Amino acid sequence: MGQAKIKIDKNLFERLKKYASLAGYSSPEEFITHCLEKELAKLDEAESEEEIKKKLKGLGYIS
Amino acid sequence: MKRRQFLQLSLAATLGPLVSPSLFSYFNGKKETAVKVLILGMDGLDPNIVSRLMKAGRLPHFQQLAARGGFSPLGTSIPPQSPVAWSNFITGQDPGGHGIFDFMHRDPELYLPTFSGTSSEEPKKTIRVGQWVMPLSGGEVKLLRRGKAFWQILEENDIPAVISRMPANYPPAKTKQRTLAGMGTPDIMGSYGIFNYYTTEPGKINPDIGGGRIHQVYVIGNQVEASLPGPINTFRRDRPEASVEFKVYLDPVNPVAKIFLNDEEFILKEKEWSGWRRVRFSLMPGQSVSGICQFYLKEIRPHFKLYVSAVHIDPENPALPICTPPDYSRELVSRLGLFHTKGLPADTSALDNNVLDEEEFLYQDNGFLQESLAMLEHELSRFASGVLFFYISSTDQRQHMFWRLTDPAHPAYDVKLAGQFGQEVENIYLEMDRLLSRIEKYLDSRTVLIVMSDHGFNPFERGFNLNTWLFENGYHKLRNPWKEDKGTLFENTDWPRTKAYGVGLNGLYINLKRREKYGSVEPGPEYENLVRELARRLEEFVDPLTGKRPVFKAYISREIYHGPYVEQAPDIVLGFNWGYRISWSSPLGKFPPQVLENNTQKWSGDHMAAAELIPGSLLANRRLIHPSPSLTDVTATILHLFGIKPPPEMRGKPVLDIA
Repeated sequence: MGQAKIKIDKNLFERLKKYASLAGYSSPEEFITHCLEKELAKLDEAESEEEIKKKLKGLGYIS
Repeated sequence: MKRRQFLQLSLAATLGPLVSPSLFSYFNGKKETAVKVLILGMDGLDPNIVSRLMKAGRLPHFQQLAARGGFSPLGTSIPPQSPVAWSNFITGQDPGGHGIFDFMHRDPELYLPTFSGTSSEEPKKTIRVGQWVMPLSGGEVKLLRRGKAFWQILEENDIPAVISRMPANYPPAKTKQRTLAGMGTPDIMGSYGIFNYYTTEPGKINPDIGGGRIHQVYVIGNQVEASLPGPINTFRRDRPEASVEFKVYLDPVNPVAKIFLNDEEFILKEKEWSGWRRVRFSLMPGQSVSGICQFYLKEIRPHFKLYVSAVHIDPENPALPICTPPDYSRELVSRLGLFHTKGLPADTSALDNNVLDEEEFLYQDNGFLQESLAMLEHELSRFASGVLFFYISSTDQRQHMFWRLTDPAHPAYDVKLAGQFGQEVENIYLEMDRLLSRIEKYLDSRTVLIVMSDHGFNPFERGFNLNTWLFENGYHKLRNPWKEDKGTLFENTDWPRTKAYGVGLNGLYINLKRREKYGSVEPGPEYENLVRELARRLEEFVDPLTGKRPVFKAYISREIYHGPYVEQAPDIVLGFNWGYRISWSSPLGKFPPQVLENNTQKWSGDHMAAAELIPGSLLANRRLIHPSPSLTDVTATILHLFGIKPPPEMRGKPVLDIA
């Protein structure tokens, strides 16, 4: 799997390093990846919620 | 003689004079039931309006029917929503027995609304080949209504039945009887109905409307290119929406256009409807799905406006199960041509959002009604034995949309429109009277005719924001209270601190520990006390504007339902007062700033009131022997007419004198 680099604020990175270690992650990268995946899963979920709304709205009783 | 026939005849003898002495007779050499039962289900037919119009002499055929047999209000379900009420009729049980409590239920794990009537499962086994996902097993659409349908019981007793467009029967319950699914049948997108509107002037329409999509198009060289969305293509890994491109060529001079769709072309004049057009969505090489829709060329110039109805499942080649036996819809097409398959086909969303105007809506709904009546006559022409049930939705849909024009006090009253369309509610009753006249020639002395509705109607003038009320009274907590009116689907809710929430049109749920994912209320006394406190406080709440109580009755579900599914019910079912309903946005977990708001929408009549306030109607050509019949009694009556003892879970009793 290919990898890409992103830039991140240095102070934020220091904090990430600290909490990654405290939370038991093997590296800051693993912690960041986990956080991003969690947030993306929420967005994916939101999309399906949007779909639920659209489908129900055709009923006429809700808007 | 078969053992079953012997038992039927023995039962008939045991039941005495109320039952026909012989269940079967020979007519023209064919064995047929001695009694035929024709049931016309007119959704939302209100007994007060029927009574008023009969007294005024405007419903002569209803009057004749009432004089010959009887007419009575018909006790409805709690809540009086169509899927719930018709399920009561189908199964002879209340929602505790059939498990349909609302149009919407909720998933206690996610706190999200779900369809109450069906669930869809995608194929469990698939294989990925490049960009394609190939199913190795079939997906499934499941009917969530529980309990045996009365026509399944008839079938067990060799009584034939045709059940046409019964609500809350999608996909159709398993049977060899001829059945066609009704309300609850989705469009090809899997939704309750999504229309498409193509316009060069999209700014005039709210882009976020329910039940429709607005597409901006451009007229370039007298030509419009557009795309009609279809179902999600589950054969593709990225699951895109399937679509069909189409082109519209505008006549440079005359108000006429030619539409090229798939391999077909057709011409429409301005203000003309196309009739049914077949559309084929390609999913992968060798795989496509077919639907049918209607085009309406609303305007060519100065602005291009083209409405396309929801894409219905093609009855000639149904992609989803809409009938039993599976070739029944195909047989109907061969006799009658293409017909609508989506439940509740009239496009109330398009009217509510000014995509269609009142006249266009009526034209569309009348088309569906006439199509239905042709189907009814087709079935009547071969109705020789057993039961024929036929459902009509226009009575319900027109009352929803035109009630506002019957009452100058309604917040959505429009004096100009009232002058033109103020009689539409009455007109649909008059149309039903003409229907009774039209079918008279099919009725013989063996025919028991029952006209029934699932509920009555009342005005929807004020909307009650249940979730806002819960929030303001401390039962629902938000993570960011200053964002109260932002977002939907409880995205701002602080669940561990929340005690109650509203989902659906009448339902209130307690955030119960070990049932809801982040439950906060302990089962037992804490739960019981909270339910009683909420029910009391909701019933006591007064609308400061009108001095009326918006909640006429807060029913505690465990006290009103019976059967194995009571635990799945909302904890409290709200029965609204005359003029009130749940608000537009509360059912989907929104928190508008006001607890109460005026309803200024065209959707202006409704039926979410307390069951006591809006009973349905029952008319029959046999005398009624019960003073206050209810929906489940009609089910018991049908079985009784054929000498069948209702199963113990059925709650009704026979109500017709057939001596």
